[in-house]
Amino acid sequence: MNLQLLVSGIAMGFIYAMVSMGMVLIFRAVNIVNFAQGEFLMFGGYFCYMFNRQLHLPIVPSLILAALAMGVVGVIFMFTSYWPLRNAQIRAIVVSAMGASIVFKEGARLIWGSIPVTVDRVVKGTTLIANTAVVQWQNIAIIGISFALIFFVYLLLERTFIGNIMQATAQDRYMASLVGIPVVLSIALTFALSAFITGVGGGLLAPLFFLNNTMGYTTNAKAFAAVVIGGFGSVPGAVIGGLLVGLIEAFGGAYISTTYQLVIIYVVLVFFLMFRPQGIFGTRIQEKA
Amino acid sequence: MVNRQINLKNAVFAAFILALCLSVPGFTDSYMLRVFNIAWITCLCVLSNYVLLGMCGQNSFAQAGLWGVGAYITANVVMKLGLPPLVALILAGLGSGFLAFVLGFAFFRLRAYYFTFASVGLMTILNGLFMNWTPYTGGALGISNVPSFSLGSLVVKTEKANYYLIFVVCVIAYLLIKKLYNSALGRSFMAIRDNEMAANCLGINSLLTKSIAFGITGILCGVAGALYAFLSGYLSYQTFTYQQSTMYLIMLMLGGTSAPSGAVIGTMIISLLQEWVRPLQNYMQLFYGLGIVLLMIVQPEGILGGGRALYEKWLSRRKPASTVAQ
Repeated sequence: MNLQLLVSGIAMGFIYAMVSMGMVLIFRAVNIVNFAQGEFLMFGGYFCYMFNRQLHLPIVPSLILAALAMGVVGVIFMFTSYWPLRNAQIRAIVVSAMGASIVFKEGARLIWGSIPVTVDRVVKGTTLIANTAVVQWQNIAIIGISFALIFFVYLLLERTFIGNIMQATAQDRYMASLVGIPVVLSIALTFALSAFITGVGGGLLAPLFFLNNTMGYTTNAKAFAAVVIGGFGSVPGAVIGGLLVGLIEAFGGAYISTTYQLVIIYVVLVFFLMFRPQGIFGTRIQEKA
Repeated sequence: MVNRQINLKNAVFAAFILALCLSVPGFTDSYMLRVFNIAWITCLCVLSNYVLLGMCGQNSFAQAGLWGVGAYITANVVMKLGLPPLVALILAGLGSGFLAFVLGFAFFRLRAYYFTFASVGLMTILNGLFMNWTPYTGGALGISNVPSFSLGSLVVKTEKANYYLIFVVCVIAYLLIKKLYNSALGRSFMAIRDNEMAANCLGINSLLTKSIAFGITGILCGVAGALYAFLSGYLSYQTFTYQQSTMYLIMLMLGGTSAPSGAVIGTMIISLLQEWVRPLQNYMQLFYGLGIVLLMIVQPEGILGGGRALYEKWLSRRKPASTVAQ
């Protein structure tokens, strides 16, 4: 029972890690918390459904196609909801992202309907671990694929030229433009990467929980919690935070109450904010006058 | 002389708006009147958001939760304790305000974004309580048959009577916020909004001041909750959601954060817009979302900011030498 919970908790944790990692990428690049990140997950899942069930492709190619399509959606999102507002107050951008999340939600309902849908599993069936725990292969597939993707994105950011460009833009946009970095492209690439990684999460999640057009809000809420628990703006922090949220959800749901799941996560979040506001990986930034 | 003219103009304008608002029940059917009633209740919450965000610069998503606290306090006080509705109204305001004030001390140890997250947390926790704490909130079934507002033998039962009650409360709240704007407390709110460190250096206790702002938000939302309970008679956890809080923010940003009238304009436009785009049915929400994004792109300062810029342009074109003459 506990082992089973552990595996499913970690699998869900990796999904949240992908969402919160996407959120952190955007936050680092443009200093904005993206209130439409959960909708990226929902949209990615629906794209996967479209390729898998409506166009009858196998699941792995449809996951890849869905992720690429999400990259395009990310760029469109950036050019419509962020770029025209880049010099406005932060809260104007927050409101525009909220408007965009309504558009995403309603767009999904109009295109794919409001009946919950699902996609194929990457690996079917269940397996027995340590002779006691029945674990779905899909959970293990989620853990493997997301770990690989997160590692890949991390390498891309830390070890490659493109990653350096993105980090330079994130640190100081003006300075980056002075040394000849195309800032628009770099930011667009960050949004694309963020939507890409979150969208894969949607496709992986769909076989376990049905997709519906309102799932973005709860996901977003949990990703917020993961980002803050991990440490704001830290990529490893987002991953650890996501895993923690997944585990709290699994064990809290089993031992305390399933109806209070989100409440338990947020109580943990509030405690974190009280006693370690910088999160696990964050460093306290001195406020400038 | 010029000042007196402007004052007279303002007074005439205010009287006109007041007359227009008071005559609303005269030309609307009861369905539209209910829409207006809900809009004015929402307006109280958006005004509370104005105090916190527009004056004090703190963005919170907990308003709908505090609104719910007010509503559930009212229902419990009237139905379980059997106290008169007026007492319930006051208790709802005080209870919700006290909750916000006390939590403010904890939450405002966090700055900017972190406070916003904590408020999302509070909203989620409150909504979880509304849904699951059956003895006091009725759980998933909610509370039905909350009695109407009454004062002695005067019972406010019809839609029309409710309209006047809610409108009067709104006007009182509006005037109090206007008063607050010019008071020392209001000035210290704005000092914190513009630069918290500088405000601290001037001797403002920013933790206490921000908590007071959050407390005022709580009071306004609590009163709005009580009015909602009296009006609708039925409370469900599905009303008091995070989405509702985001709506308040959208309304305020749409109207403009520079003056309380922005909150009123934004609320009225969005509430009525939802009714006007109803013929679009399936596409209604889609256009609504697109409209928000477009409005933010075209006018990030809100309608009030845009209107003011237009007005100043017009003034300077009409009287280019007016400043010199004075």
